[in-house]
Amino acid sequence: MKPIETVPDQKLLLFKSCMVGQEYPGVEAATRYVFDRLGVDWFISEEQSCCTGIGHYTDLFEGLTTTAIAARNFAVARKCGYPNITCLCSTCYAVNKEACELLNTNDEVREKVNSIFREKGLDELVYEKGDMDPRANFYHAVEILLSKVDKISESSVLDFSGIRAAAHHACHYYKVKYKDVIGNPENPQLIDDIAAACGADIVRWYEDRTLTCGMGFSQLHLNKNTSLQVTKAKLDSLKNAGVELMIHMCPNCHIQYDRYQPVIEKEFGVEYDTVHMNIGQFVALSMGADPYKVCGFQTHSVPLEGFLEKVGAI
Amino acid sequence: MTVPPEKTAVFICHCSGNISEHVDIKAVKKALKAEGISVFDYEYLCSSPGQDLIKNKIAEKALERVVIGSCTSSKHGLLFKKCVRDAGMNRAMLEIANLREQCAWVHPEKADATEKAITLLRGKLKRLGHVEPLQDIKVDISPHALVIGGGIAGITAALNLADNGVPTHLVEKDSSIGGQMAKIGKIFSPDKLAEECAMCSLSPLMNEVAAHPKITLLTRTEVEAVRGSVGNFTVTLRKKPGYVRDSCTACGRCSRVCPVLVENEFNCGHKDKTAISMRFSQSVPKTYSIDPDHCLQLNGKTCEKCAEACRAGAIDFWQQAEVLELNVGAVIAATGFKEYDASLKTQYGYGIFENVLTQMELARMLGINGPTKGKLVRLSDTCNLDAGNSSVGNSTTDSFNAPPNAFTNVPANDPTLNSSESSSDNENLSDPPVPGRIVMIQCVGSRDEKAGGIPYCSRYCCMAALKHASLIRKKYPDTEITICYIDMRAFGFYENYYRAVQDMGVSFVRGRPAEVVQKSDKSLIVRVEDTLNQKILELPADLVVLSAAMLPSSGTREIAGVLNVSQDETGFIKERHSKLKPVDSSVDGIFVCGTAQGPKDITDTIAQAGLAAARARAFIADSPKVLVHELASINQLTCTGCGDCLSCPFDALSFSESGRVVVDPLLCTGCGYCTEICEKGAVQVAGFTKSQLKAEIEGVLEAGDLLGFVNSGISSLTCDNIGNSVLSYPSNVKLVKVSTGLVVDKELIMHAFRHGAASVLFVEDPPDNPRAEVIFPLALRHFEKLKEELGADGSRLHFKKAYVPNTKGLAGTFTNLAREGEMIR
Repeated sequence: MKPIETVPDQKLLLFKSCMVGQEYPGVEAATRYVFDRLGVDWFISEEQSCCTGIGHYTDLFEGLTTTAIAARNFAVARKCGYPNITCLCSTCYAVNKEACELLNTNDEVREKVNSIFREKGLDELVYEKGDMDPRANFYHAVEILLSKVDKISESSVLDFSGIRAAAHHACHYYKVKYKDVIGNPENPQLIDDIAAACGADIVRWYEDRTLTCGMGFSQLHLNKNTSLQVTKAKLDSLKNAGVELMIHMCPNCHIQYDRYQPVIEKEFGVEYDTVHMNIGQFVALSMGADPYKVCGFQTHSVPLEGFLEKVGAI
Repeated sequence: MTVPPEKTAVFICHCSGNISEHVDIKAVKKALKAEGISVFDYEYLCSSPGQDLIKNKIAEKALERVVIGSCTSSKHGLLFKKCVRDAGMNRAMLEIANLREQCAWVHPEKADATEKAITLLRGKLKRLGHVEPLQDIKVDISPHALVIGGGIAGITAALNLADNGVPTHLVEKDSSIGGQMAKIGKIFSPDKLAEECAMCSLSPLMNEVAAHPKITLLTRTEVEAVRGSVGNFTVTLRKKPGYVRDSCTACGRCSRVCPVLVENEFNCGHKDKTAISMRFSQSVPKTYSIDPDHCLQLNGKTCEKCAEACRAGAIDFWQQAEVLELNVGAVIAATGFKEYDASLKTQYGYGIFENVLTQMELARMLGINGPTKGKLVRLSDTCNLDAGNSSVGNSTTDSFNAPPNAFTNVPANDPTLNSSESSSDNENLSDPPVPGRIVMIQCVGSRDEKAGGIPYCSRYCCMAALKHASLIRKKYPDTEITICYIDMRAFGFYENYYRAVQDMGVSFVRGRPAEVVQKSDKSLIVRVEDTLNQKILELPADLVVLSAAMLPSSGTREIAGVLNVSQDETGFIKERHSKLKPVDSSVDGIFVCGTAQGPKDITDTIAQAGLAAARARAFIADSPKVLVHELASINQLTCTGCGDCLSCPFDALSFSESGRVVVDPLLCTGCGYCTEICEKGAVQVAGFTKSQLKAEIEGVLEAGDLLGFVNSGISSLTCDNIGNSVLSYPSNVKLVKVSTGLVVDKELIMHAFRHGAASVLFVEDPPDNPRAEVIFPLALRHFEKLKEELGADGSRLHFKKAYVPNTKGLAGTFTNLAREGEMIR
């Protein structure tokens, strides 16, 4: 278990996510907005590349390429002096952490990656064993937020009381690296604790809480019906529990719920009232950020206007 | 004191191949014989022909010095010492070289192991050139025993001790003895297919405890502190007030007039007792007591109703806590277990859904003195009758913050439950329906490698589930029961019971359920993969029963700290040897039994408690006892009486009436702190003198070696465990046992460097127990001082804490440092 006291607020490399960037840029903008107000020392590097996660999980990138790209990103993080890689996307988090473990423990892989770098004259990218610590140098943005939950509570200006909210914790955060989760990995409560601190009426347990969002990367495209049925099961449970707002921490889950809720409604002939957002967007909103200029809710497929009016944000 | 070589002999044990398959014993014999030493070898030196061989050779050749090459001295050291003593030799004249755990088992190459074996034996031979006979130090053992914990383990242990004539104190923190067994209505038995009444077995034993002339029973009492050692423990006890005098006749009038209802911990939180009550109706001692947290009178209000009702005048609101002190020779810890907090497995809904309960709560429900008087009910049917109209969404979520005790909401409709005549006129309440479908989930918390789970099997839960299934089917034959299991473990004769329960029609599904879901009518669905059919099942249930893991009780964790005994990683008190010494703790004279030592059922607990009593009695009977650990000794010829050594961290040194510095054998731990302080070298730890260590170092070292000074406690065990764990390290690692690193001075280290040591490693016990908490910082400071004094050579000095489970880490350190040494070579 990762002790909350060990989560840093200095030298954080805010790791850009391809899915956040192209689908919900407001997640990044909102997280930056919140980090600034919480006194977090963060930096975004233009040199950082994609973690390859989407490509890796759809069998386009094999492990060695993914590891080599991770090693390159680690060099970027160290070079700019912000070695604590902090991800907006749980897949970036798991891929980076796994690559770091591999580079530290598998001499053959490390040597292979380094020989590619040397061959191409990229000696500054060479990764030495122990350059990064898989436990101490990798975080998800939600962990940083949780470590500042008292300050978030103080800075909350919107009244969320009476809003029935529920959390979906990303499986690439708490199921892949389950020994490094803050709290009980079978019932993570990070989002719940932050949302409760903002005054939301949080539904801490609901049926299918630990079920995946259904995306499964290539599954969404290859076995679309199964994928959407899983998502539907989850949306049904949320409906049964009377949840109005679903808060998540990963752009993949975000896409699955927000983009595909209308699709499921159409294909299965059902209706849902639940709206979706990322925990960074939620905290920014609670601190009084602009719903469109900062949180970027205009890029969502499930319209949030009704919800925003209810909480007095517009 | 030099001894001619023909007066010295080496004996090598084959250990049935454990040593002889890795060490070329012929080569060892040849090498040592060339130095004029006689060498003998035998298949098992620990056997009686093996010991006869040693004794005969001592007599035949008039030997004066003996080295035995065998397993670790912590295994058979005492046996071999006794063997040479029987042959008329002082125990100091025997040295044991560890050819198994620190040689044969850790060096896979036969040539390496053989070479190392020769150096180890040579070291011990050299050491024998500098020994002085050791005087036996004897202490008297107190003839009294203390048993901590009044459950079935403690009761059994106390009765066995008392029946053997040992005056015994039995201490229990609750107001009655009986423990967890008293809570269980029926118990399973290995030889019958029937369930026996727990109280019918337990109650006579409890009464026997109360009546036994050799047992002093102290309830509401906890152990605060234990001082002293080896058969002379001074125990401080605190007895909390019960506010009722012993003249109580247990008539129950007080309870009937008491206006305050409180949660009954005995009934898993059911609010069915009053602020003045007995724990249960068969309580021993049969005395009521007042709960000071809830009594109105004790909380500044005026009530005194109980005092008015009591005809014996037994109520005493002014009773105070008492502090008692005992002197005992042996202690048995029987402090028991607690149930795993099943709400940590949120997916099973314990603490969220009313109809999810644990096996212990089911046991209370099935007990005729339980909250439902033995009636099987859905808990949701017993509380609010308006439960049916709550909405679907709310039902799954609103009760998340409900307290974990399942019975909290059961209304107390019968405040006179504790009295012997229980009222029968409350049948007018509409009878709740009997739950028709029950699903039990095994291994909740047990055999679970996730965070918050416990890796071990809790041993009792398969049988508890079978027993409850059988009881329910006998009473309510229409109830469908399904047990979801990973493996059913009905060991030994219990297999018959398992088969009988299968024949009764109970269903079994192999699979660990994923989730329990509550429906709008408060019934439940258990989602599980039947891994034998590879089918996903949704099992409907009215009650879900969780077989929660067994954890050490908080009392067990606390007492382990007070007694300074080793615990395993979960907190159970660790036995010294799982096979040979299953009830001895890490401290001489302190024993453990029952679930304080590890998860087990009642049958095993009683067997183990009997053994603990036998061991404790044997310990007490062996008085006066010869101390086995080596102590500081003062050379009065060189001692100037400066008194510097009186700064001993254990206060073991003092001035006698005649002005001499003397050592208290009960307080001295042989740590060697005084040897560092004494400028004249007048204090030495017997068995670890400078000249002995110097000689051993000369014998074992070769150029480029890593020399390890190993603390003879936990560190030494950890080094042995490397061998037990089938790990290896280079054979140029040479380990020399010391009482602690404090006996190693600069001169010894320089000596080691001169004789080829590339580097020196101190292996010290971690500060995990009171003795090591004192010694560890001293040893670390001593090490840092040495490092500084050695200047440039200081970088060749290393320090490592040895934790028993971390054999891999220590072997890794050995390997890394040894490799550095090889490079220097």
